[in-house]
Amino acid sequence: MANNNDQTASFMVRFSQKIYEDGKGDAQVQWRGKISHVQGGDKENFVEFSDAIQFIQTKLSELTKQATINKSPEEQEGILTRSLDIWKKLSATGAKMAIETIKDPRKGVAQIQEQISQVGEDIGQRLEIDEWLGAKKSDYNDLRDKLQQVTTQLASLHDKVDKLSKKKK
Amino acid sequence: MSGLDDRLSVLKEKQSSASLQVRTFGSFSAVVDGQSISSKTWGRDKTLQLFQFLITARSRSSLHREKIIDRLWEDAEKDEGDRNFKVALHGINKALEPNRPPRTDPKFIIRQGITYQINHEEIWIDAQAVEDYIAVANEARGTNDNIAISAYRSALECHSGIYLPNRIYEDWSSEERERLQVLILSAYISLAELMLKQQPLETVRLAQKAISIDNTWEDAYQLQMKAYLTQGNRPAAIKSYQQCVKVLDKEFGLDPLPETQEIYDSIM
Repeated sequence: MANNNDQTASFMVRFSQKIYEDGKGDAQVQWRGKISHVQGGDKENFVEFSDAIQFIQTKLSELTKQATINKSPEEQEGILTRSLDIWKKLSATGAKMAIETIKDPRKGVAQIQEQISQVGEDIGQRLEIDEWLGAKKSDYNDLRDKLQQVTTQLASLHDKVDKLSKKKK
Repeated sequence: MSGLDDRLSVLKEKQSSASLQVRTFGSFSAVVDGQSISSKTWGRDKTLQLFQFLITARSRSSLHREKIIDRLWEDAEKDEGDRNFKVALHGINKALEPNRPPRTDPKFIIRQGITYQINHEEIWIDAQAVEDYIAVANEARGTNDNIAISAYRSALECHSGIYLPNRIYEDWSSEERERLQVLILSAYISLAELMLKQQPLETVRLAQKAISIDNTWEDAYQLQMKAYLTQGNRPAAIKSYQQCVKVLDKEFGLDPLPETQEIYDSIM
């Protein structure tokens, strides 16, 4: 069995808020971000969150490559295909859910529950969703972070599956 | 003496009187009653890692043994994890208190049933001191700036680099490292602001320290420009602005904030 450390990627994201007045005297807000990959030590600054997602995606791809380095292309394809059924259902709403959870945690949790019921108990147990109903604000922040991780993993898997599909054709 | 002054004195006193002094910034060290603990004395790396983990989780009132094992020996089976934990804990107590009489409680690591925590009364930790000094400074700011300056200075004197640099790839240390770095950056900026009128060159130095930690920290460039202007050093102020423009463009593809632009306009 592979060491868990070889199967784990952690990311630290820092957001700095800048509020300023534009030329017309209207208040504007700007977010500046910094994301770091804990296990590798790489860092990147960003303004658009999609750049942070791209950063995460790259690191996760590397992790998957490492984890499946000794497997045959067929086995790799099998792993990805089996994952696809679960991840595809979540991917369409993953990012939206994360944002709505930030805006309205309880509504977000309800949505997540609905999603979870669609993709089976396995994922439900992983996220321990029932425990979040009585959660504190900090718990919702944790949930938001986890959702962001899930979203990026989904995007990464999507890419891989698309590539595999193209190869097949 | 005001309450804040008292608190500041107590913090300073603890730094010199605690029997165990732990430094986490820049490089790790632990000194018991004036004697530094060598890496040979720590023995296995996991012993040191467990101690650093307990230091990192110091704000938690108690840590369940299983949670600790989950974080540090995540691949171990239950029995193996328990055994590893026991060995590492024994290693810590042996390193910190080699002459502790048998059947007496350890002085530095408190055990309550199956939970563990460090004994705050007996240990001085630079990271905790930074936090405590900054809390006093923030409270004093605006009402007693002299105390605020002294407290910020004491906090920054404790800081000599990143938190536990030998653990930067460990998941369990990253949250604390990030939290402390933001705290330190804000302390540099706050102190730099307080020094602006009295000692602008000190403001420049502090701003540069902040920039060396995070070169995108725009507040630091603004203060640097203001300080150079106060000094009458227009070329240096322009250079700070240009550096700011270059960094923000490279890192974010952004222009400086209008506030930074206004300072620059006032130079021109």
